[in-house]
Amino acid sequence: MFHWERITVLIGKEWLELRRSRGLLLSTFSPPLILPLFALGLIFAMGLVSDPDTAEIPAAAIDPALADLGLEALAQVIFGRQFSTLFLLLPMVIPNVLASYSIVGEKNRRTLEPLLAAPISTGDLLLGKVLAAILPGIALTWLCGLIFAAGLGFVAVDPVVPGLVLHPGWMVILLLTSPILALISVALTVMVSARVNDPRSAQQIAGVLIVPVMLLFFGQMLGLFVLNPAVALLFSLVLALVAVGLLWLATQVFQREKILTRWR
Amino acid sequence: MNAIECHRLTRQFDRLVAVADLDLAIPAGTIFGFLGPNGAGKTTTVRMLCALIAPSSGTARVAGFDVQTQAAAVRAATGILTETPGLYDTLSALENLTFFARLYGLSATQAAERAAHYLRLFELWERRNDPVGGFSKGMRQKLAIARALLHDPPVVFLDEPTAGLDPAAARAVRDVIKTLRAGGRTIFLTTHNLAEADELCDLIGVFRTRLISLDTPANLRARLFGQSVRVVLAGPAAPLAPLVQRLPFVSEVSAEERVLLVRLANPDQHNPALVRALVAAGADICYLEPFTPSLETVYLELIQEAVTVDGAS
Repeated sequence: MFHWERITVLIGKEWLELRRSRGLLLSTFSPPLILPLFALGLIFAMGLVSDPDTAEIPAAAIDPALADLGLEALAQVIFGRQFSTLFLLLPMVIPNVLASYSIVGEKNRRTLEPLLAAPISTGDLLLGKVLAAILPGIALTWLCGLIFAAGLGFVAVDPVVPGLVLHPGWMVILLLTSPILALISVALTVMVSARVNDPRSAQQIAGVLIVPVMLLFFGQMLGLFVLNPAVALLFSLVLALVAVGLLWLATQVFQREKILTRWR
Repeated sequence: MNAIECHRLTRQFDRLVAVADLDLAIPAGTIFGFLGPNGAGKTTTVRMLCALIAPSSGTARVAGFDVQTQAAAVRAATGILTETPGLYDTLSALENLTFFARLYGLSATQAAERAAHYLRLFELWERRNDPVGGFSKGMRQKLAIARALLHDPPVVFLDEPTAGLDPAAARAVRDVIKTLRAGGRTIFLTTHNLAEADELCDLIGVFRTRLISLDTPANLRARLFGQSVRVVLAGPAAPLAPLVQRLPFVSEVSAEERVLLVRLANPDQHNPALVRALVAAGADICYLEPFTPSLETVYLELIQEAVTVDGAS
C-alpha cells in the first residue's frame, strides 16, 4: 500500500531541487527540444532531393503502403520513420540523468540517512524517486513527439506523408513503450547507484539502454519488419517484462539496511 | 516507564561483531550519554534503535514500539541528528524543514508552524529563505537539530550535537536539550565531548562493542574512585605516601609533586585523623579538598579496563 501524500511530498522536493539546479535543468531539457526541430529540418531537406535509389531501400520495399509514393515523399517517409524511433532515446536518457543525480547525489551529500530515518517506506521512497525521474522524461518525450507531429504537416511534400510517418505503430511506441523504457532506465540506474559515487558513472548505463532503440532503428532500416501496432505491442510487452524484472531487482537493492551498510 | 529498552541486542556484519548483547533500560525523560571510542559500534546501535537496520539477535523497544515488528512506528516516534547534518543545499532552511515535517506526516499548516518555531528558537529565522548551501557549519548543525525535533518525537537521538558550534551556539543547543528533558523527552546523546556529557546526562553508558558500564555520572565516579581527598602540601608529596598508605582507613594513595590523592572509606570521619598523621610526620599542609574526577578520567579508566580485559581474554 503506497502513501501518496508522502510520495507527492518527495516528488515535490525532487523537482524543487531540480529547478534550483539550473545547469542540470538546462543541459538535460534543452537538447531534447532541438531533436524534433532537427528532424523536421532534415525531412524538409529530403523532400528537396529526388533520388531513384530511395525506392531500393529495403524499408521501402517491404511496406506496400509506400508503393505509390513519389520519390521525394518516399524519402521523407522513410527518413521520418527512422528518425521517429530516435525519440525513444529521450525517455531513457532524461530519467537516467535525473535518477542518477537524485540517488547518487543524495548518497554523496549524505542526505539519505535522515531521509531513511523518516517514517516513509522504502517502497514509497523508491516510487517517489522513480516517478520524479520518469515523469519529466515522459512529458518531454511526448512534447517533442507533439512538436514533431505538428511540424510534419508543414514540411511534408505530400499530404499523405504525416499519416505514413506518424502511423499507429509509432503512436504505440511513443505512448506505451517510452514510459516502459523510462522505467527500465531508472531501475538500472538505481541498481548501478549502489556501486558508484558519481552521478556521471551511473549515467554510463545509458550506453546499454540504447540497445533496444538501435534494434528498432536498424530493424526498420534493413526492412526486417514494419513497425505496425502488432510489432510495437510485442516490442512493448517484451520490454515490460524486462522492466518488471529490473524493478524487482531495484527494490532488492533499495533497502534501508543495504543503503546504509552496503552502498559505497 | 522506559523509553528505550534493549535485551541482548546484537549486530554482526559478516564475521565482525559491531554490537554484542546490549542490555539497556533508559527511563523516559532521561538524557542518556552513550560514550565510546570511534568504531565502538555506537552508530550501529543508534541505527538499530531507530529501526534503520535490523539486529542480528536480541530485542529492542523504543517509545514502546518494537524496532523489528513496528519499524515505521519507531521511526515516527524518534528524531535523529546524524553524524553529518544531511541537508539539501539548494533548498532554503524553511524548505528543508517543511519537507521533512511533511514527510513525518504533518499537514502543510502544521509543518509551516513548526518550522517557523524552530527557526526562531535556533535564531535562523532571518535566514529562513536562504539556500542552506551558504550556511556555516554551526547553522547547518542547528538546522539539522531542528529537523530532528520537528515532529515532536518522544525520543531523540543526537550524534555530536554541538560539534562544530561556537561556544555560544553550543550553549544554546545544550539549553535546548535540557528544555527537551524538562518537556519529558528522552535524549540519547552520542558524544565525545565528555564535559558536555557530564553537564547534561542523567545516565551514562560507556560502550565498546559491549556495554562496559551503565550508571549515573556520580555513581560511576564513586565506583571507580570511591571517595577521595586531595591534600596539597608545601613540599614534595612522595616521601609521605608510604606513611599514609599504612593508615587503616586509607585504601589507596598516589603522590604527584606536592599533591597526595587519598582514597578513604569515609572522608568526614577520617579526614581529621589523616591531617593529624601528616602533621605528626612533619608535613606542611596548604589545604585539603574533596577530589571529584572528571568524567573524562572515569571514561578513560573504564575503556582502559575494557581493553585490558579484552586483551587478556
